[in-house]
Amino acid sequence: MPGKLDQDHELIRKAQQGDPCAFGDLYENHAPAIFRYLFAHLDSQMDAEDLTGEVFLKAWQSLPKYTERGVPFLAFLFRIARNALVDHYRQNIRVEAKDPDDMDGYKAEGTVEPVDIVSSKLEHQNILRTISRLRPDYQMVLTLRFISELSPDETAQVMNRSVGAIRVLQHRALAALREVIGKSG
Amino acid sequence: MIMKIEREIDQIIERYLPSLSCGEETIDSVLAKHADIRADLRPRLEAAMWLHQVRRSVEPRPGYISSSRKYLVERISSMQPAGLWQRIFRRYSPQRWVFNIAAPVIVLLLLALVINSAVLTARLSIPGEPLYSTKLVLEATRLALTFDPLERTDLHIHYSRERTTEFVELVLEGDYDDLPVAARRLETQINTSLRSLNAIPQDSLVEQHSMTTGFKDTLSSEVLMLNVLKTTSPPSAHAGIQLAINAAQIGMLALR
Repeated sequence: MPGKLDQDHELIRKAQQGDPCAFGDLYENHAPAIFRYLFAHLDSQMDAEDLTGEVFLKAWQSLPKYTERGVPFLAFLFRIARNALVDHYRQNIRVEAKDPDDMDGYKAEGTVEPVDIVSSKLEHQNILRTISRLRPDYQMVLTLRFISELSPDETAQVMNRSVGAIRVLQHRALAALREVIGKSG
Repeated sequence: MIMKIEREIDQIIERYLPSLSCGEETIDSVLAKHADIRADLRPRLEAAMWLHQVRRSVEPRPGYISSSRKYLVERISSMQPAGLWQRIFRRYSPQRWVFNIAAPVIVLLLLALVINSAVLTARLSIPGEPLYSTKLVLEATRLALTFDPLERTDLHIHYSRERTTEFVELVLEGDYDDLPVAARRLETQINTSLRSLNAIPQDSLVEQHSMTTGFKDTLSSEVLMLNVLKTTSPPSAHAGIQLAINAAQIGMLALR
């Protein structure tokens, strides 16, 4: 898992000068991780897509005030994502299902087989069910490390803990997860 | 010691997870290489493998990232903070120009038009009409703003003619009830004009003489006109008209 912090520096600088394409590159680099993190906590793919867009819009709006010395960009994004998730739970708004061909102006460019969709949905339900049985900090560390594929350093920055503390947390969280998987068969 | 195991297990997971997921390694083969920590490693490796396998169920759908990127870039482009020229241009765009400049001008023009119409209507009004008091206020204002004695006298004489005109209009419209009041107003105005004529400084005797002659002619014509009016009006108007004739004649006498 290569560190993405250095690659971001130039793009952030350009984006702060108002370059939307540079921000688009940042989006392309980090949106998959943000999406996976959000979708691992939500039961709707649409909600996860909406929240991903929302996270990056908020990041764009906050970009003029953002300084890399304070919080690395990835940690900055994940903090926005975490807050967006909290807000989403708090508001408990069920976004109406949208036609996949008409989602706020963009369309899916690929197609997925129905069998894959069903299989993926079952797996998704499984991950939601299993992870939800863990403590919130265990959920977070496992999602960041294994779903969003952040490095221990990046995870530490997002969770505002030391790398050592993250390793300890991950060690315990993996053991707890194995136990939950064993119980659920 | 515990910290060391945690770091070691984390490194093993990172190192072997890709090869485990593609089948190059098995959990047992990895455990065999790390037999000393086998008991701690197995459950964690299995849990990490499980997470790695289910991860694909939370992947974005194909094409989502690139299409949503386009959408996001378009959206943030429209949210861009405007530059100086853009701000100036936006400030003075045709629509804004209409709202910021043309609209107040139009409102002011309309207001001026309304005020002008009101002043004009007031100037043409006669006693008993709603705007007549406005007419008197306007006359008083104009007099207050006229500081030259000659101009002031000229204005008084002009107003006395105005009172006679109003009086004649009242008679012609058959509004005889207002005649006594209008006659008294005429008398007051003639007296004021006479006082103003007398107050003209000595160094303007020529102008004073000219004004006096003009005013005398005016009053003479008015007396004649009022007498004609009296003969053509019903008896109920006679008393009022006579009051006006008397006022004009007194003025004439005073001028002699």
